[in-house]
Amino acid sequence: MKKITTIEAENLSITRAKKVVVKNLSFAVKQGEVFGLLGGNGAGKSTTLLAFLGFLTSTEGAARINGVEADVDPAATRRAIAYLPESANLYPHLSARENINYFLSLAKVKSSADDIEMALNQVSLAEEARDQRLSSYSKGMRQKVAIAVAILRQAPILFLDEPTSGLDPVAIDEFNRLITKLAKSGTTVLMVTHDVYGACQVADRIGLLRRGELVGMFEATNDARISVDEVHQAFASGA
Amino acid sequence: MKTAITIAAQEWRYWSRTKLASAVALLAFILICTSVFATFSQVAKEKDTRETLQIKAEETFRDQPARHPHRMVHYGHYVFRTPTSLAALDPGVDPFTGTVMFLEGHRQNSATFSPSYDGAQAGPFSRLTPALTYQLLLPLVLIVMGFGVVAREREAATDRQLVTSGISPISIWLGKTLALGSVAFLLLLPMLAGVALSESNWSIGLGFFALYFFYVLVWVLIITAVSTWSQRTSVSLLILLSIWLILCVLLPRLVAGAAATAIPDTSQIETDMDVIMALRSVGDGHNSRDPAFDRLKANLLQEYGVKRVEDLPINFRGAVAQAAEADLTAILNEYADKRIAGQRVQTQLVKSYEFVSPFIALQSASMVAAGTDARTHHRFLREAEAVRFQFVQDLNKVHEHKMAYVDDINRNRDTDAARRTRVDSENWRVLRDFRFNADPADTRLERLFSSYAVILIWLMVFAIAGLLGARRLPEVNHG
Repeated sequence: MKKITTIEAENLSITRAKKVVVKNLSFAVKQGEVFGLLGGNGAGKSTTLLAFLGFLTSTEGAARINGVEADVDPAATRRAIAYLPESANLYPHLSARENINYFLSLAKVKSSADDIEMALNQVSLAEEARDQRLSSYSKGMRQKVAIAVAILRQAPILFLDEPTSGLDPVAIDEFNRLITKLAKSGTTVLMVTHDVYGACQVADRIGLLRRGELVGMFEATNDARISVDEVHQAFASGA
Repeated sequence: MKTAITIAAQEWRYWSRTKLASAVALLAFILICTSVFATFSQVAKEKDTRETLQIKAEETFRDQPARHPHRMVHYGHYVFRTPTSLAALDPGVDPFTGTVMFLEGHRQNSATFSPSYDGAQAGPFSRLTPALTYQLLLPLVLIVMGFGVVAREREAATDRQLVTSGISPISIWLGKTLALGSVAFLLLLPMLAGVALSESNWSIGLGFFALYFFYVLVWVLIITAVSTWSQRTSVSLLILLSIWLILCVLLPRLVAGAAATAIPDTSQIETDMDVIMALRSVGDGHNSRDPAFDRLKANLLQEYGVKRVEDLPINFRGAVAQAAEADLTAILNEYADKRIAGQRVQTQLVKSYEFVSPFIALQSASMVAAGTDARTHHRFLREAEAVRFQFVQDLNKVHEHKMAYVDDINRNRDTDAARRTRVDSENWRVLRDFRFNADPADTRLERLFSSYAVILIWLMVFAIAGLLGARRLPEVNHG
């Protein structure tokens, strides 16, 4: 079955404070694919995500989700996306279950207690922590709750902004496994990161961004993941 | 709307789990209840006392034994300003203006016995009325609870999470406004209970409560608007505290000061000195030989066709007392009217600044609705004066018609003459009952329209400010 394009940047340019932050960016991500946008600080990675979410307007070109331009109908594009920012923006005075219930009720998604337990099992959040307030959680635990929300929302697209920043190696491995699992179930993932190793672990393709321009594209094959050395060399050399 | 209710419920959960917010709300509720209960019982007691004393004063006057009527003119009488029902919630100017007047011949006394200055009630807390608590302290409580309603979401970037969950920024603002509004409404319940218990006229009771409801709603909208526009909770708190200080403390004080400077109010001593000077032109009513009454004497002699005052069919001294009281009262009224007019212009001037502060708008309107404003007090003064003038002149008429002039002038030398100048106590029934009532509910409600309009304008301004602020959610700062 031919996979359809769900995320598409077409000659996308974004100017902020009179400075071109993203320049003529084009890429397309197909359903079930994990696409990594890799780049250093100020490369325009997060700006690109925000443009897809309709929080920033493109100065040229278009950012499309399922064929809908984010500039034209941001509400429609947001409905299709579950967004995990660098630091999971959840409520510290609520427990994991309460946070999930709150966001699901706002998104008008009906989920049973069993569904929530299943999602929390899927993200491997310790059972004894589920009723504790998030103020006592580590960053990795908060990320897990945010992913559980994304799973339960059944959003077809997942945006991840520096998802493994600040996580310990065990948490990173768990996280990567989860992303791979979600992608296999049909979720399209767009991940922006400066973590070369992490991106190569999970991404099917990696686009290298430098000063807002796409300067390289790397793709995994059926036999092998993307070479960390190759990407690292390109990242470091300024190719 | 369901989304807004869900967001509001979430805010309530935040407050219930934040010790500071819960403690502030609880303390505020206790303070408000205490203030309502204390003022309510105090005013109810005052009302009973003054009603009882008014009846007693009237009975005491009428029960006086037979005596010379001019002795009754100086014996005098007390009138009491009975507080209105809503004075239990807003005593207005009552605690400062005096509530009792001693009425006697030849003088217009000031009202005395001001609860704020007398006895155990004197002191800074004597003014912590429900009205002041709601006007001044409730906005502060709402600020402490609500400064972060939206700014906190923005600071933690949860606003972005909400919006990416498909929530419109307007729903976030609406939910937060609903949450803070519901807290405000709960804190208004003691006021609502106070109105229901004290005021039997539902239209003025509702009109009074609506003023506070809309005022508190203005503050809810100010708080959510500032919180929506602020990048940080600390900035929001600082701005809101500054707004509170300006609107509730500085501007009312400045406006009152400006009014006092623009229309200087002459002191009672200055007025009294001027009155004494003016009264010199009126003769001494106790001395029928005063040249000031020569014209009166001539007119009466001509009218009755006699040559001597002794031959008049009336008591000339009574006629003199009447004429002197009328002239003297005209002068006293002139000064009193001037003083009242000055104070009324001052009040109007302060009211004209209600556009700059909802606090000023509510303070003026609340006193009007409660019937405790300066205008009502002025009417009390004029009605009391009418009673004074009427009973003094009626006694002077008794003096004129119920005794002979010869007996009157000889009463200190001749015991029989003295006996004959004593008139029966039935004559003390000239004193009319005095029951002071505030303006009818309809009149008071009519006077509130401009204040409602001003408060509604404030409501609209901050609702628009909040909506415009919500359109900026979520703030995108990095990329």
